[in-house]
Amino acid sequence: MAEKVQLFVNGQEVEVEAGKNLIDAFGAIGVKIPHLCYHPALGADGNCRMCLVGIEDGRPPIVPACKTKVAAGMKVQLDTEKIKKIQRDIMEFELINHPIDCPVCDQAGECKLQDYYMKYDGQPSRMTVKQVLKSKQMDFGCGVVHDQERCVLCARCVRFTRLITKTGELGIVNRTDAARVTIFPGRPLHNRYALNVVDLCPVGAMTSRDFRFKQRAWFLTRSASICQGCSKGCNIFIDHNREKYKDDIIYRYRPRRNQLVNGYFMCDAGRMTYKGENDDRLLTPQVDGRAASLDEAIETVRRAISEAKKIAMLVSPNASLEQMYAIQRFAAAIDAALSGYSDGCVMAGDGDGWLIQDDKSANRASFALLNIDASKAGFAAAVSGADLVLNFLNDLDRSLGEDDLTQLPATAHLVSLASSLTACVARSAVALPVASYSEDAGSLVNCDGRLQRYEAAVLKNQPLKSLIEVTRLLGGSVRNIQEARAGLQTAVAVLNDVDLERIPADGIALTASEVAHVAA
Amino acid sequence: MGAKAKIMERTGKSFYERLYLIEIFKGMAVTLGHFMTNFLDNSKLYVRHYPEVQPEIPARWRGRHRLTKHEDGTMKCVACFMCQTNCPAKCIMIEAGERIDGRSEKMPVRFTIDLLECIYCGYCVEACPMDAIRMDTGIFAVTGADRQSFVMGLTALLATPGAYTEEEYKKGGV
Amino acid sequence: MSQLDLLLLVLRVAFGAFVPLCFIAVLVWMERRGAAFFQDRSGPNRAHIFGFRAGGLVQNLADAIKLITKEDIVPDHVKHKFYFVLAPVIVFSIAILSFAAVPFADALILGGKKYLMQTIPTDLGILWFLALAGFAVYGIILAGWSSHSKYGILGGLRAAAQVISYEIPMGFAIISALVVYGTVNLTEIAHYQGQLLFGFIPMWGVVVQPLGAIIFIVAAFAEANRTPFDLAEGESELVAGFHVEYSSMKFGMFFMGEYVAMFTSSAIIVTLYFGGYQIPWFSTEVLVNNARAITVLLMLLMPACAWIFIRWMHKNNRSHYDCPDDHRVREALIYAKIIWGVVAALEIVLFIYLITVSGGAADRILVALLQIATFLVKTTLMCFVYVWVRWTLPRFRYDQLQKLGWQILLPLSLLNIFVTSAVVVALN
Repeated sequence: MAEKVQLFVNGQEVEVEAGKNLIDAFGAIGVKIPHLCYHPALGADGNCRMCLVGIEDGRPPIVPACKTKVAAGMKVQLDTEKIKKIQRDIMEFELINHPIDCPVCDQAGECKLQDYYMKYDGQPSRMTVKQVLKSKQMDFGCGVVHDQERCVLCARCVRFTRLITKTGELGIVNRTDAARVTIFPGRPLHNRYALNVVDLCPVGAMTSRDFRFKQRAWFLTRSASICQGCSKGCNIFIDHNREKYKDDIIYRYRPRRNQLVNGYFMCDAGRMTYKGENDDRLLTPQVDGRAASLDEAIETVRRAISEAKKIAMLVSPNASLEQMYAIQRFAAAIDAALSGYSDGCVMAGDGDGWLIQDDKSANRASFALLNIDASKAGFAAAVSGADLVLNFLNDLDRSLGEDDLTQLPATAHLVSLASSLTACVARSAVALPVASYSEDAGSLVNCDGRLQRYEAAVLKNQPLKSLIEVTRLLGGSVRNIQEARAGLQTAVAVLNDVDLERIPADGIALTASEVAHVAA
Repeated sequence: MGAKAKIMERTGKSFYERLYLIEIFKGMAVTLGHFMTNFLDNSKLYVRHYPEVQPEIPARWRGRHRLTKHEDGTMKCVACFMCQTNCPAKCIMIEAGERIDGRSEKMPVRFTIDLLECIYCGYCVEACPMDAIRMDTGIFAVTGADRQSFVMGLTALLATPGAYTEEEYKKGGV
Repeated sequence: MSQLDLLLLVLRVAFGAFVPLCFIAVLVWMERRGAAFFQDRSGPNRAHIFGFRAGGLVQNLADAIKLITKEDIVPDHVKHKFYFVLAPVIVFSIAILSFAAVPFADALILGGKKYLMQTIPTDLGILWFLALAGFAVYGIILAGWSSHSKYGILGGLRAAAQVISYEIPMGFAIISALVVYGTVNLTEIAHYQGQLLFGFIPMWGVVVQPLGAIIFIVAAFAEANRTPFDLAEGESELVAGFHVEYSSMKFGMFFMGEYVAMFTSSAIIVTLYFGGYQIPWFSTEVLVNNARAITVLLMLLMPACAWIFIRWMHKNNRSHYDCPDDHRVREALIYAKIIWGVVAALEIVLFIYLITVSGGAADRILVALLQIATFLVKTTLMCFVYVWVRWTLPRFRYDQLQKLGWQILLPLSLLNIFVTSAVVVALN
């Protein structure tokens, strides 16, 4: 537990963590200090002056909260008339040239400037001179659209490119009224985390080309989840909305703070994986290329299983821990060889050592936990001579070349459980749709051995059955996710002490030695 | 006692009133009087001869909606979704997109009002920051043969002119 | 059975079946236009066939077509579909049947044989009506119960409780009337009322039994489920009460049943208390003996009435807005021609009667026709009272309704029996 210090806020004695600045320390106990430029990941810049607070008997008596560390006995004033006047004046300054085009601004609803105006300002403009006009709708590259008029020059974006990505594409040029954020001529944003500036921007100056005008912020439902774009397992918010007469659609992913995994950020590629949840989904069961009812498809697969002499099973490294367990039990029950072969998910050299990983699958670490073989040799042994291949979510076409695919048993014997329309599904004799991760719950182990859990976020108008349910219908023994979790707890040594129903928000580290031990 | 309370005299307590029948006959005499008057001369009925005589609609009457335009013919709507957010009947459905007519940057690609769901409360007009939606068409009777004909699209909403001059509308009618 | 017997049988049954049905149209029209005039509105006056509105009567035709062609729904939650369908049938048929015992003219004596002018020539008279009126509520209760809906069942229960409460004062009122008349036969009751009291007042029930008449009329309103006693369908509390789940013609049956019941109870009220078919001061014998004089009088009165009616029509059947070449005026001109035609035809018929067949059986037939007309006019006026009351009085609260029934009407009707009996005993 961190060291605590006693101090006073508005005359009340409080206990906060030592060593932090006032914004963070008070934020942790629910006392909010307005700020525009300060961001925990980017450090204090002190340029917006919105966080000025009074220190009773202090020298100086008014300090920026972002640059002031807490000290024992400090008497902080947040609600004196003087502080309120400062806040009101700062807001008035910020709004001198702000276009107030909230109706067309995507940030409206989650805009700091709006919130602070309502809370700290609330007065009409006194300006009579014409507003300074700057450039609008500037294409900054990487899908970032910049509006210089809306900018409050907090320099968060500039600091992000300098401190975090170390690419430094952005800068503030000119002074006073003419100051603006811009790129170097002909050198747009060029890094794989560029869209984080959209989240960082406290106002609507940075907008995402992809999300632009799709939805208003207040319509969106925010559901916490885990990105499955790579094995890092960045924590995200799934922003989704069900419009009238339409289906529940995901509009964007935003990073969710988890200091132990991704901090405040996520990569651009990960953000765009939401499209796979909306489009190109396998929605109806298919038997021999035609749409069929679920009952019929299940019956076909059950018959094929009972008639098959040798069955091979293929599981995806994107399946959740619970799903893998259910599949493994099912494989054991029908005496099928189980392989997790999916080398195509690994793009060697693509990772950058920070958030982007080589392995584009979300849960490969669980293979080690459950002793699922993922080698090519194991796969070849499993499928050789098999007259039925049950494929669970695995997009085999990514891993196998044209030649290897022909080695597979005849198409008529390939059964796919999938959530999206992959090439593999197209070649399957029977395809069964299952819920995707945004519609299902589960647990993942990321590349660092951190066990994280996600809940179902999206509820479609016609919900698909989860993979565990479909496996159960095919003859599997695991009834539901709770049963899978209970089974995992007893079957996997590392998880013996872990309550899979209650994984904390920032996950649990499965100790490196144990993971290594199991893997060995 | 702070406020001035007017004590109403209780009636119905006297013997004649409690007989009830006499009061009933009095009441029936009143109604029969109306009946006979109208029966013998029906020219003084308090009725509107609709549809032969169309009623006069004041400018503040909440009729069918329309979307307004600037002088240069471009639509005022910027697809801010305020009307949709405010709509208690959830009858407005907007889809926004990039503006193509040179004004600001956002405009509706689709703007539908389902008049069968609309309750004509006028909140959309109140909410609009651009004065882009109005209910001043003076159309009070919308008819159609099927449900789809009650779903007003962007073109239909833009095509309907207002029934009043700007001054009349601002004044709120007679 | 002679041919005459058969003919009269058919005629009487036809009268008993079709007159109530025709009166549905008349009463619905009267209700709607009446309500409108009571409220200074104009009521339905638009529906027309080739420009003929018949003062709004055509609207009924439009309503009928609508009701018949509407989707006939039996809700899924209804468990006993048979009873659900049976209920409106009961209400409607009972209402028509209860008219069967009402005499619409004095007994017709033709060829020395006496024909009771009732649909069913029975001596049961008022008992028949009482029995069937009590039965009609079964339809309502059945409708409410089989609807399997809380509004329906509440409406049905209210109707049941209401009918029980008001049958008792109604029965007592009838008892005191029977004490006076000394018979249950409605023809004889009507006949009794043809006498004169003190030589100049028609001895109508309302004169000899004023309290009984009021009690009976109030109870009859309650029995017919009419305002101010229509709590079974109190729409402010029960949506539509017992018929909330009914649509199309099944609702139509309830609707028609209500008007037939209204017509029937008007007929009973008229028969019991307003002299039935009797023309005041002119008993059947007086009429038969002075048939020629009456015919002449009729021939004089008819054109006069027609002239007044046509004047009234020309005044009121016009559009009260700018309308060049007013179609309503044209319509009225055609009506005027038709009326004059009918009057002329009747004059000719009466004239032929006067010079050829007057005296004997034809006189009796003429008198019977006159009495039928009288009876229908009286009944129509009584129906108008129903409408009149409906658009004057607000609905009772349910406890007020029960209080009125049990605490006021019941003691009053008992008192009435004692007083009447005492007077009758004292006079005899």
